[in-house]
Amino acid sequence: MNYLRLFGVYFRVSVLSELAYRVNFFVQLFQSLVELGTALLGLAVVFSYTNTLGGWRPDEVLALVGVYFIVGGMIGLVIQPGMGKLIESVRDGTLDFTLAKPEDAQLLVSIQRVEIWKLIDIVLGFGVLATALVRLGETVGGWEVLSFVVMLLTGAVIIYSFWLILATLSFWFVRVENILEIFQSVYEAGRWPISLYPGWMRFALTFIIPIAFVTTVPAEALTGRLSAETLLGAVLLAALLFAISRVLWRIGLRQYSGASA
Amino acid sequence: MTSAAIHIRDLQKTYVVSERESGMKAALQSLFHRRTTEVRAVDGISFDVAPGEIVGFLGPNGAGKTTTLKMLSGLLYPTAGEASVLGFVPSKREKSFLRQITLVMGQRNELYWDIPATDSFELNRAIYRIPISDYRQILGELTELLELEPLLHKPVRNLSLGERMKCEIAAALLHTPQVVFLDEPTIGLDVTMQRRIRTFIAEYNRRYGATVLLTSHYMADVEALCRRVIVIHHGKLLFDGELASLVQKFTAHKTIVVQLENPNADLSAYGEVVSYEEGHYTLRVPKADTARITGRLLADLPVVDLLVEDPPIEEVIEQVFAQEGS
Repeated sequence: MNYLRLFGVYFRVSVLSELAYRVNFFVQLFQSLVELGTALLGLAVVFSYTNTLGGWRPDEVLALVGVYFIVGGMIGLVIQPGMGKLIESVRDGTLDFTLAKPEDAQLLVSIQRVEIWKLIDIVLGFGVLATALVRLGETVGGWEVLSFVVMLLTGAVIIYSFWLILATLSFWFVRVENILEIFQSVYEAGRWPISLYPGWMRFALTFIIPIAFVTTVPAEALTGRLSAETLLGAVLLAALLFAISRVLWRIGLRQYSGASA
Repeated sequence: MTSAAIHIRDLQKTYVVSERESGMKAALQSLFHRRTTEVRAVDGISFDVAPGEIVGFLGPNGAGKTTTLKMLSGLLYPTAGEASVLGFVPSKREKSFLRQITLVMGQRNELYWDIPATDSFELNRAIYRIPISDYRQILGELTELLELEPLLHKPVRNLSLGERMKCEIAAALLHTPQVVFLDEPTIGLDVTMQRRIRTFIAEYNRRYGATVLLTSHYMADVEALCRRVIVIHHGKLLFDGELASLVQKFTAHKTIVVQLENPNADLSAYGEVVSYEEGHYTLRVPKADTARITGRLLADLPVVDLLVEDPPIEEVIEQVFAQEGS
């Protein structure tokens, strides 16, 4: 409960900070619309040559694009800004202030910065998703929606843990922003169903950089192609990654404070 | 001594730092093989601070002051030795401990840049879970003591350095900590602002009975606030005691300022003439001979005014470090 309250306070502070630069709203709106337009145009081009893509119908891929924008928006809203700030504060020493607070430091660094305009991506994503659902019509039942919500949350946990693990590396290597940049490019692969990619890449996108669980799997849940094993696997992976990120964070903090030396 | 607010024994901190020579070749080599050396930032210091005391923590750059403060506030893990603050082991970073301390670093800022300070204060209120009535009261007091009223509603980026520091200090004290670590709180500020912050620290200490450990390069801060000083150098404790006895211990000289009716006298027979300005001679004499020389000056010369002083504290401190270095 207190966590939500803290998040609320940080969110408020971020809103206030951002309102000082209103032009960012329009920049972000423009950027999001261009990205969405490009994505939809890509879909239109591909589906002008074929009716299905790796077994996915046009409206199902459209739903995937919606998920891609929702999750991308969540990353851009809290995860990326918070982790970016973490890396920065390890370098300039302001992490000390966070560590001196009587609250879980991992929680604080995770919610410390919110890029509110990324909400635009989330809103657009839900819009695209709703459109896709209406067009898919009859196939979406209660189970699909429920498993979709669960998988979306699972995906969020996976991606958060993954980012935290990368950002925690900054305790050992001071410059790690580049890794985060690479991640952002890899994430773009999640715009298409993972089953389209060749075997080695599918493997990499599932087990090394688990983008598959973040976009494709929730979309699968919604379109009724999710197997129970995948669902269970995703939940287990989320739990495992979260645990690893937590342990690594602790070890990183000990490194930072010199407790491990 | 469990009643001490701060208690440390043989505290040590060794940093392992990687080093390399300059140049491309060395840079490439260091990618694969790092040479490391150990730096003893804090090398076995011990002291106790009683509740409510203000202690000045002095030493040149790199003496280990900040490292010690960070160990005491739980940010750094000591390599050896023991530390306890308010009965807690700082490095365990228990919430009930962190709630009772604060660390202010003059060179770093915590407040959000683009929003007014009060909005950042709200953040601390949430993190420290300060009840709203307590919060209003303490904010009112801090506002009055630090004269924050006109600053609270401006974005922090529009404040001057000194104004920002006042807000930083207020943010750090909203939870009324019992132990306050101040690392160079007045650095870079003008004299008026330094004085105001000094007065505030004294008042906060008086009102809340807080224990204060303060580092500063400005001796005026130390003279105004601290009866007791702890001096460290190269991570070792050089002196711990009253400021006055530091002067006693480390200076073998006193300064005599004499004003004469006849401004062209040669006083070199009485002591070393340090300076001469508009009829004012400044003599440096061995401490033990002060009374005798003063007597002779008064007997021999047409003295208008005479003043015996301890040398300025900066000079004393410099001497402390110089003696240690040799």
